[in-house]
Amino acid sequence: MATNRSAQRPNGAPQTKVCQFKLVLLGESAVGKSSLVLRFVKGQFHEYQESTIGAAFLTQTLCLDDTTVKFEIWDTAGQERYHSLAPMYYRGAQAAIVVYDITNQDTFGRAKNWVKELQRQASPSIVIALAGNKSDLAAKRMVEFEEAQAYADENGLLFMETSAKTAMNVNDIFLAIANKLPKSEVSSGGAGTRVLNDADAPRSSSCCK
Amino acid sequence: MEDDYKFAASTFFAKNHPGETCGSNGLPLTPSSITILGRSQRLLQIEHPNLCTYLDIIRGKHERIIVVAEVIGKALADYTTKFSYEEIVNIATQIACGMKLLHDGDIIHRTLSDDNILLDSNGRVKLFHYGMFYMTNEGKEVPFPLGLPRYFSPEAIIGGGGPSADVWAFGIIILELFIGKLWNNLKPSPTLRRILTLVHSNNPAERIAREHYALDAYKGIPENIRGIIEKCLRIYPSERATFKDLHSELSIMNTRTPSEIKPVRGLMGCKLQYLYHWWQLAGGDIQAELKKNGLIKNSPPILSMPIAILLDGPTIGGKTGALFDRRIAKYSLDLLKNRLSHIPPSDFYPLMHERRRDYEAMALPKIIRERDTEYQFYRLLWFQRLLHGYPYTAQCIRSEAEIDIPPLVRGDVWAALLGVLGDIDTHYERIDKETPTHTDRQIDVDIPRCHQYCWLLCGAEGHKKLKRLLKAWLLTNPQYVYWQGLDSLTAPFLYLNFCNEARAFACLTAFVPKFLHKFFLKDNSAVIKEYLAKFWQMAAFHEPQLATHLHDINFVPELFAIPWFLTMFSHVFPLHKIVHLWDALLVEGPSLPLFMGTAILRQLRDTLLDSGFNECILLFSDLPEIDIGECVKESIDMCRSTPKSLSYRRFTNEPEIKDPMVSGVHLGQHELKSLGPQSYKVLVEAVRMNKIIVVASAEDGTAQLFSSYLVKCMVARVCVLQGGVAALHTHVPSLFITQRKTAIK
Repeated sequence: MATNRSAQRPNGAPQTKVCQFKLVLLGESAVGKSSLVLRFVKGQFHEYQESTIGAAFLTQTLCLDDTTVKFEIWDTAGQERYHSLAPMYYRGAQAAIVVYDITNQDTFGRAKNWVKELQRQASPSIVIALAGNKSDLAAKRMVEFEEAQAYADENGLLFMETSAKTAMNVNDIFLAIANKLPKSEVSSGGAGTRVLNDADAPRSSSCCK
Repeated sequence: MEDDYKFAASTFFAKNHPGETCGSNGLPLTPSSITILGRSQRLLQIEHPNLCTYLDIIRGKHERIIVVAEVIGKALADYTTKFSYEEIVNIATQIACGMKLLHDGDIIHRTLSDDNILLDSNGRVKLFHYGMFYMTNEGKEVPFPLGLPRYFSPEAIIGGGGPSADVWAFGIIILELFIGKLWNNLKPSPTLRRILTLVHSNNPAERIAREHYALDAYKGIPENIRGIIEKCLRIYPSERATFKDLHSELSIMNTRTPSEIKPVRGLMGCKLQYLYHWWQLAGGDIQAELKKNGLIKNSPPILSMPIAILLDGPTIGGKTGALFDRRIAKYSLDLLKNRLSHIPPSDFYPLMHERRRDYEAMALPKIIRERDTEYQFYRLLWFQRLLHGYPYTAQCIRSEAEIDIPPLVRGDVWAALLGVLGDIDTHYERIDKETPTHTDRQIDVDIPRCHQYCWLLCGAEGHKKLKRLLKAWLLTNPQYVYWQGLDSLTAPFLYLNFCNEARAFACLTAFVPKFLHKFFLKDNSAVIKEYLAKFWQMAAFHEPQLATHLHDINFVPELFAIPWFLTMFSHVFPLHKIVHLWDALLVEGPSLPLFMGTAILRQLRDTLLDSGFNECILLFSDLPEIDIGECVKESIDMCRSTPKSLSYRRFTNEPEIKDPMVSGVHLGQHELKSLGPQSYKVLVEAVRMNKIIVVASAEDGTAQLFSSYLVKCMVARVCVLQGGVAALHTHVPSLFITQRKTAIK
């Protein structure tokens, strides 16, 4: 797996680009947003993951062939009431993962709303991924894979069914996003991508623009 | 001596769920031991002269449950002498009295037998182990059968039976007291068969006597009590008497008056729960004693592994479920007696007007004081007295709580601090907690994630109670809505009042308007915004350097502090820390949380100053170990040294501060100094002496500029006087002889 705790210089590649991306997780509460992040960042899974109030922030670095991608991840609260806070987190984000729970049809409906909102309000170049979480509970499935895939294709979203519990597709979905994100030279894209030199690894950033 | 043993422990294993089974929601099944722990909390509340008080239910390793309960005298089964008619009536009356209370509370005993009815030399009777059936969810959570076969009623044998099965067992017990032990040498299954054959009999009691060649003895039983036995031993459960009837009938027959025993004075006269608590603090160890007596035997884990596991799942060999271990280990209180032997008898009865202040442990940190036997001895007795006098002692309780609160009575003290009064039970009873609402889904997904490391809150019982509390609160506060976090906020109250939902509810109801006024409005953005702004001001007031740095890196409280204040930190800290935080909160009042937030920043100060945005926000996403004792101390210091009007918020229920200058510095009480020609020197001197600097100007803009300049220069305790120079002029005209813009007090 291509994940790494910290940016490492692959053998024989003297010049590695470091790209920083802001990624936000959205979705109905208790679909497993925090669990996905926790699995991705720390490789852990907590059965009784506490609910998120406001938002939580974590970072993780992925190594691609010639680039190191650092994700600054905003994990948001799922409850509808916290909706008004969401723009604060997705503003300026280059990527979003919209999560739903495959055992609950309503959460899929909510995910669609989030996608709509992102398409309308977020940066136009944002890469959106749809994650059907809790695939370990396939026996209780209420949202068909094909249905979600069709919806994702229609809207140009990345799509995977994931399981934070078994770790299935968790790293993959982040990797897929990393691959799809433009890793242009120099921070020309006004969205806030920052390409740094490996030497001055990100100490402080101004991600909240 | 009989008196030496006040309580005893027994132990058993709860049922083990096979392997990796998950519930329908994908979460692991609740372990049986957790269910037992949750259910048994209710038993801990029962106090009745004929029931042994349950003192503690401990969850050990590998699903082990240890039950600690009061004991007296010895079991009926251990008495070899025969009892007289009067004695039997007396025993029966007391059993019926205890059973009546249980049945009134819908608790079925099911295991009533001669080895769990205790009798002491004074003729007092107490039932022991009466909660086994209840705590094990009718035996479903344990791998062994409950009860002794010869006391089973026919319907209980075939798997049914309600409370009236206890009446049958009661009948058998009285019958045995007259004609001796029944089915003495029979194994369980023949015994059960014998009982089942009774269903054809018109008078089972007589038939049993005949089968035991004791018909003459049976006929010799005085008619009134024989009537009682026959009313109990009816085949049809519906025909049996109830304990209510039995008790009133027996009370008339009983010639002995129960209140002959003189109340014990001194240590042994203290509440049993207190004795047990102090005994533990003094080093008493329930598990060690059980091990010493062989009730807990440690065998190598490999011995409990199955010998073989077949490919399709079933296992062969390994440890199989044992029967219920009926042994008990009794505990002597000598340890505690010795520890407290030097305490003069008068100290057991503290007088309201003779309050002691000079405890040795006073200088120690709170956490250590909570573990100090002697200190807790004095504090508990003192609080017991104060709580007894509540509400008249409310003021006194508040000033004592300022020092510390004994953990054993924290629930009571919190309720007193919140002013909980009146018939809260009826009020709570009347609230509809069942009708489904739109919020239910959200509550249902949040509860299984709320403080689930806590054994009480993670079981089914805890989940049900929390849901009821939330629904009740939402229904009685229609102006508010459910915000995630309300669950965390409710949890500490439930944790402390697990068996007193009404009080948990009353506490929550009193807490919110005081500390979180309007926070749960559907649109609470203005309230939160104000709160966070105040918090940020307090941070700048006390920690200017840190505030400046955080401001510079764009690290705003909206990104991390919402869960802090919306839940009064109950979402960010574990319960054992929250209780200490809230102890202070309830005493100091609603502005303290602002300073708690500041104290947390101060504790992380060095790291924060060295970090950029990402590191800072990461630090708060994964809040490191905060020293709560230190945080409480610092926040109280800051809170008390900050002019009240500085932390005043518009969205509050607190009365407005009656300062003519609104900004709250009572100018009349302080020496005010105008800066004079050498303003720089005066200012530096003031900063050095850590004075509060009040900036007053003719224009608000100027005052703000200058004050933020001072903050940037890392000057602490800077504030702006609302109304500026004009306000100053009105109140202290003499100050304006030199006509300067800035004044220092």
